[in-house]
Amino acid sequence: MTRVEVKPGDGILVTRNLTKIYGERVALEKVSVAIEKGKTTVIIGQSGCGKTVFMKHLIALERPTEGEVFFKGQRIDQLHNHELAEVRTSFGFCFQMGALFDSLTVYENIIFPIQQHREIKDFKVLGELVKLKLALVGMDGYQHQYPASLSGGQKKRVSLARAIALNPEVVLYDEPTTGLDPITSDVINELIIKLQRELKITSVVVTHDMKSAYKIADRIIMLHRGKIAADGDADYIRNHPSEVVRQFIEGRIGEADLAALRLGGTKFPTQFQPEDFSGT
Amino acid sequence: MVTLAVWRKFKQQVEHLGRFSRFSGSAFGAMGSSIAHPKTYPLVWTQMNIIGVKSVPVIMATGAFVGMILAVQAYSQLAAMGLEERLGVLINIAVVKELGPVLAAVMLAGRVGGALTAELGTMNVTEQIAAVESMGTDPIKYLVSPRVLACLLLTPVLIVYADLLGILGGYFVSVIQFKINSGAYWDYSAMGVELWDVGTGIFKGFFFGGAIALISCYKGFTCREGAQGVGEACTEAFVGCFISILALNYVFAVILDAIYKTFWPLRPLL
Ligand SMILES: Nc1ncnc2c1ncn2[C@@H]1O[C@H](COP(=O)(O)OP(=O)(O)OP(=O)(O)O)[C@@H](O)[C@H]1O
Ligand SMILES: [Mg+2]
Repeated sequence: MTRVEVKPGDGILVTRNLTKIYGERVALEKVSVAIEKGKTTVIIGQSGCGKTVFMKHLIALERPTEGEVFFKGQRIDQLHNHELAEVRTSFGFCFQMGALFDSLTVYENIIFPIQQHREIKDFKVLGELVKLKLALVGMDGYQHQYPASLSGGQKKRVSLARAIALNPEVVLYDEPTTGLDPITSDVINELIIKLQRELKITSVVVTHDMKSAYKIADRIIMLHRGKIAADGDADYIRNHPSEVVRQFIEGRIGEADLAALRLGGTKFPTQFQPEDFSGT
Repeated sequence: MVTLAVWRKFKQQVEHLGRFSRFSGSAFGAMGSSIAHPKTYPLVWTQMNIIGVKSVPVIMATGAFVGMILAVQAYSQLAAMGLEERLGVLINIAVVKELGPVLAAVMLAGRVGGALTAELGTMNVTEQIAAVESMGTDPIKYLVSPRVLACLLLTPVLIVYADLLGILGGYFVSVIQFKINSGAYWDYSAMGVELWDVGTGIFKGFFFGGAIALISCYKGFTCREGAQGVGEACTEAFVGCFISILALNYVFAVILDAIYKTFWPLRPLL
């Protein structure tokens, strides 16, 4: 594959030769991506391939071992935290596990970014704002509950509402539909599409869910072991020649992995089955 | 091999110290700016309530028992020499100078230090601290500075409570149980205990409080993943606080003693 050089001004978010190494483990290796403004970019890949790490680099929550990250042409990976604060208000980040503040109610969680960065004092306005954001994700009416009393999927939706509280230019979603039922998943898909169409929000979505990926993506990037394995629109990915990509999108285990699994065996002397006891 | 391991361990400790210093530095910076921004005061009030107000009963109990125990232990020694009326000086100096401040700080380290580390540690492993950061808010400003500020400002106040109850505890045991003349008890106490003793005891509280909050918050922010990580961080935080309180107290004993000897005799000249 010929590597295309990316330049800082090629998109709203650009990474160049992004490399991240944790101790001995290479989480990302020379990832160069230019994310287009106003489009939805989906990142797919097997568990542990570096998707979350990649997303965190986009708002400098993690700092690269090597390489550069640009937002609107400005290099952000070396900025100090106080300089980043300004940049980060243009982003919404929806964490994989929700990361809601569990000592605050749903309402307080959502007004948190607003209180930090906007001078809105009127409680009526704030209340309306929260209601609006929660209604978008179908969670209106849960304002006064604590995150501990919500289900996993509900937490995720509230966290999504919090991510879009400041009307950001870019929203980064880390597996927004994982763990949701098919119908709620589709609500989230439609929401991402709606935000992109109506507010021209740039979305970067990490997902395992190919159905959702095909539906929302303008472009799909597949990561494999910290490197880009494929990059193109939905049709390109659907008909990708590479075996690694085909296996992933069809959800099929590789021949080598299968052989290893067969060889491994599953029954240990200490592991008994119910029928082992029925013979006597 | 052994020297290599020792060297590595040493390097690790120095690194930790460096990180802790940077953390403390940015915490103090954030505190400075949060004093200038009344918007952040509610956060400090909340923490003051959790850290300070709710610690009052346990601190008072600690103080009272310290005074009472000192009275019981010292009485027989002094009575053997016929000096039982001096009991007040001994108890009150010990309470206001050392035992009140140190034991109040230790109680606070146990009550507050562990809770702060557990709270921030859990926030760390569930990515809530990263979430604060991702929304463009400095987590040190939002989470650490109100806690340090509350602890730093309220520890001296709590020490006053411990002192007060220590003095009362000692008094009641001495006067009611040992039938010491109340007037003599107070007279000797007033002669022996100087403003300097009370003042330095309370002054130390700022440093004890700051150390407790900084160490606990640092341990929470740097805690490792998982329930075990949080547990370990809590233990380390408590041990760290405890050692720092004792070490700080030693440093203060040396420094304050030198200052006292140099300047206190000059007091009448002012
Ligand atoms: N803080 C960290 N310290 C050490 N290693 C890390 C850290 N964060 C991630 N890694 C490693 O980096 C690799 C990529 O992790 P990442 O979280 O990006 O996976 P992922 O693609 O998001 O997987 P999943 O789909 O399961 O969420 C993993 O092998 C992981 O062990
Ligand atoms: Mg992930």
